[in-house]
Amino acid sequence: MSSAIANSIQLLMEVSSIISKVIEFNEKVFGIEQRNGIVRIKIHRDVLPYVAQKLATTKGIYMRTMMASDERDLEGVYRLYYLFGIDREHINIVLEVAVPQEDPKVPTIVDIIKAADWYELEAHDMLGIEFIDRRLYRLVLPEDWPEKVYPLRKEYSVQDLMKLYRPKAVEYAKEIGAENIVVIPIGPYHPALHEPEFFEVYVSGERVIDAKYVGFMVHRGIEKLGENMKYDQVPFLAERICGICGFVHSTSYCQAVESALNTDVPERAQFIRSIILEIERIHSHLLWFGVALHLLGYDTGFMHSWRIREQVMVLAELLTGSRKTYGINVVGGVRRDIDNDKIRKAIEVLKNVEDEFKKLVEISINIPQVIARLKGTGVLPLGEAIALSLVGPTARGSGLDRDVRRDYPYAAYRYISFRVPTYSEGDNLARTLVRVDEVFESINMLYQLLDKVPSGEIRVESWTVEPYRLGVGSVEAPRGEVIHVLLTGRYSPYRWRVRAPTYQNLPAVSIMLKGVDLADVPLTIASIDPCFSCTDRAIVIDIGRSVIKTIPIEFLSLKGSKAIR
Amino acid sequence: MVKFLKILPIAIKTGTVTIKYPYQEPLITESFRGAIEIDPNKCVGCGACTRICPPKALTMTIESNTIILKYFVGRCIFCGMCADTCPEKAISITKEFELATGNIFDLYADVEHEVKTCPICGKTFITRKLSDKIISKVPDIPLETMDLCPDCRRKETLKKFIGVPE
Repeated sequence: MSSAIANSIQLLMEVSSIISKVIEFNEKVFGIEQRNGIVRIKIHRDVLPYVAQKLATTKGIYMRTMMASDERDLEGVYRLYYLFGIDREHINIVLEVAVPQEDPKVPTIVDIIKAADWYELEAHDMLGIEFIDRRLYRLVLPEDWPEKVYPLRKEYSVQDLMKLYRPKAVEYAKEIGAENIVVIPIGPYHPALHEPEFFEVYVSGERVIDAKYVGFMVHRGIEKLGENMKYDQVPFLAERICGICGFVHSTSYCQAVESALNTDVPERAQFIRSIILEIERIHSHLLWFGVALHLLGYDTGFMHSWRIREQVMVLAELLTGSRKTYGINVVGGVRRDIDNDKIRKAIEVLKNVEDEFKKLVEISINIPQVIARLKGTGVLPLGEAIALSLVGPTARGSGLDRDVRRDYPYAAYRYISFRVPTYSEGDNLARTLVRVDEVFESINMLYQLLDKVPSGEIRVESWTVEPYRLGVGSVEAPRGEVIHVLLTGRYSPYRWRVRAPTYQNLPAVSIMLKGVDLADVPLTIASIDPCFSCTDRAIVIDIGRSVIKTIPIEFLSLKGSKAIR
Repeated sequence: MVKFLKILPIAIKTGTVTIKYPYQEPLITESFRGAIEIDPNKCVGCGACTRICPPKALTMTIESNTIILKYFVGRCIFCGMCADTCPEKAISITKEFELATGNIFDLYADVEHEVKTCPICGKTFITRKLSDKIISKVPDIPLETMDLCPDCRRKETLKKFIGVPE
């Protein structure tokens, strides 16, 4: 009890020190309010860079996300919500900047906070907000998107947008007179992945000099779709943001609504959420571990990793009704209960997974070829990790000790004890070991959670909506922190902002790639766990002999393993 | 240099893990959610399921004098929200997942309901079964206006209390 009081005093001190830093801009600060661990600071757009500078120079503060929202029908302005977190302080600082509709300009903060880069470009694409003193280019919208059409503005409905934008491929299909055409894009912009990526790697000899990333090939407009769905339908859409770790998104969304509306979720539901989240982490890490071994040419290890993972998939189905996209989250709780029989079976499976995975790790991590490929490759220094506000195992592999489960406790994580594995080397081995340790840590957490599940209801009976309340929900996904920011509407979310961990982590890949051998590129890209596809192809262009050939990307990587043998 | 061979004893001990599906039973658990089944006898056509269905796999259409509740399994995400919502418990979740077919019409299941037509304005507005259900559940419901659509009912009720308008 006394530690809780000490915590809250410390928390207040931290907040007051920030407020004292902000308050010196007196007449440009319009108001400060604190509720539910969210400190909202309304500031004039002119002082944004100065306030951002104050925050950026405070130790442990990082940019979590930014939400741009069209609030013209409420107050005649666009509004930007810059969300900052403080490591270990359980508090969110939200800078709110109103941008007048007749002059939608705001100073950039990208020179102060590197992580703001994509957020600003996205707000420019989706809402037409101009950031001054920086280069603006299209990031999210396709090249052939009509000019001056900003999809997240409220005057466009989803149906309008579908009429306004027709990919040129459809016209071409009509031209050639083909009916019922299905367009299948094939190429480096792979359509089947939830995070298709394209890296242009500049190489001198075998060494990478620089790398450029092109992304957002399959922007699905999920945030806009959510504005037209009922509160209890959105979790199912949110779950489909990621095919591997969908449950983190539905949990994050539900938490955002619950935080906005002050809904108390029953403890039993909190435990069930934590249990499923940890099961999801185990299957995701086992999947990644398998893929990493596959990229290194050790396919036997890959097969065994996925064999072990299969038990976890079946367990997830037993507990939720589905192997993936579990579909049990609703606002105010969960839809499926677990009983003692299921708990007993879960413990049985976990014991087996723990035992089998331990043996697999002992064998595979000690293979000289595997170590040689992982150690010292794709190094990401701690300073860069801090500067880019990185999250998840990518940050923890570089010694940045950041974990939402501990720093912003949600669901049932406050009731159990756990360790956050951190390695300081910043190389591919460090990121691998973080994930390996996390599998065992998750199993340990599950033993505690399954043992302590309290009795009671699994969801609140009813809840009422109050419009225009701000809510934040964040979850530690297998890939890092997922954060959903939400402004409630009457029947549907008014604005729903999703930020997945790869959004935050991808800019780090270019830094990791500089100076590595070409053969280590696939593994280094995969080391942030972006769900990389085995079907991606690399094109080798030999200008001297005018030869172009296409090879599976893993061949690049295998070349490196052969050199060691 | 042969450390990777240490996996062999594990592989031998594990043996083959791939099952001979479809010749063997599929690996689904007791909790598995598959396609849904609508009991046409229990369904009253209230449309609650169509309003909650996240992917809009369940839809209601009015065709001349029938209301059709259409289930398109091609859009279904097997969440079972409809079964949770159905006030008549007419929807059950099956374990059926082998749904691939060469004929798209196999993916549709329809429940047809007789629809009530307003004798005054001729508008179709509700299924007969739902109307009957309401009559049986609500005591002292004025039966004489039950056949009217909501608009005409309002007008007729007003006429009764305050006389003929206009």
